[in-house]
Amino acid sequence: MKDFKDIQDDQIRIVGQNVERKPLSRGAWVAIIALVMIAISAAALLIAQQREAQTAELSAPEPALFEPIEKVEVVEQKWLGSNVAEEREGFTEIRDTIINDIPLRIFIPHNAEMSLHIGRMDKEDKEVVYVAQAADIRADNGGIVGAFVLKGEPRAWGLSKKGFCASINGVVTVGVAENSHLFEQATEEGGYFFRQYPLVSDGQLVENEPKGKSIRRAICDRQGEIFMIESGTAESFHDFAQALVDLGVDQAVYLVGSSAYGWAVDAEGNVHEFGEDNYYTGRHRMPKNTSYIVWRKQQQEFKM
Amino acid sequence: MKKQLIISTSIDLVRIAPEKIVYIASDGNYSTLMQTDNEVRMLSYQLGQIEKMISSQLGSEGNIFIRIGKSLIINRSYIYYINIARQKLTLSDVTSFNHSVTASKEALKQLKELLEKEVK
Repeated sequence: MKDFKDIQDDQIRIVGQNVERKPLSRGAWVAIIALVMIAISAAALLIAQQREAQTAELSAPEPALFEPIEKVEVVEQKWLGSNVAEEREGFTEIRDTIINDIPLRIFIPHNAEMSLHIGRMDKEDKEVVYVAQAADIRADNGGIVGAFVLKGEPRAWGLSKKGFCASINGVVTVGVAENSHLFEQATEEGGYFFRQYPLVSDGQLVENEPKGKSIRRAICDRQGEIFMIESGTAESFHDFAQALVDLGVDQAVYLVGSSAYGWAVDAEGNVHEFGEDNYYTGRHRMPKNTSYIVWRKQQQEFKM
Repeated sequence: MKKQLIISTSIDLVRIAPEKIVYIASDGNYSTLMQTDNEVRMLSYQLGQIEKMISSQLGSEGNIFIRIGKSLIINRSYIYYINIARQKLTLSDVTSFNHSVTASKEALKQLKELLEKEVK
């Protein structure tokens, strides 16, 4: 009997196929051996005949079994961010653009690594180059909405939102799926994982329930380049997602929008804040499970 | 009568026909079962335990299910689309439900090869 835990992520198996088969009878074996011998003799005869025919055919061009119907269009990789030397200290490149009359600010981290954080961020942390709120918080009990893994530790479970973002061993994956093995992988390999509204899946707009307008934010994958984006005006989910599609984004997942606070540090060390820093004061108490995506400068090898 | 899968705990019991299950996904120490009517059911068993139940209760009829990696059991009847590069697997009856899940590239490659072999 197979151990049911004995499977890796890169393996599959058909369930219920461990029924033992009866061994073949002696008569059946004799019949099989006879058939095999007949087949071998026939094959040898056929090969000898074909060799003669092939000599004559060699001069003629070999016909293709099937021709490609259309040529595959090679998509040239054009990243939005600049080329930055690997030894340079991490920072966030900030670019502004307008798509469909929507002003967009694009935050492209360079030489930085993404992780997640729960609780208030330290604004004095000089290693941070970008911060924005990640998962939503439940209004009823203050818990995190959707599955959430913090440095390998699962902090929340759930299927409520289909968009996901994972950072495992320095690789950030943005995608849309009801179930993702990256949740398990993040748990096993000390990674990070959270869920949010899906906005773009395989270059196609994903519709979402909330219909209001607000400042929108997202984390995106465009031709393998990961960046964050913020609308300069209050937009619906639909219009914001359409702008991302028109920008050429392949996958995008929402980040907490509106007054949610965050900041980016540019190449000159200037801090660009967004949202309301003072929102969680007075009668607004900051939920203890408030989570952030945090891009920190990559540790250079020559650094102590 | 066709065999039904019974998943029972000390306080409740789920009895469901195998063809009504789209997939079962691991969710930490629990599992979530996606039904063909788009209902999601949380099960207080790990995925390996559920695989064992399928195997012991359904026997060879359980082979409509395929275990994919550590976190997924799918109903092979509903495999609609596989994209290895995007690590995407879509399970659909092309009428009432359409669910996308992810799996490793190697696992999806094996699944694709399995289905290709079956039609030869």
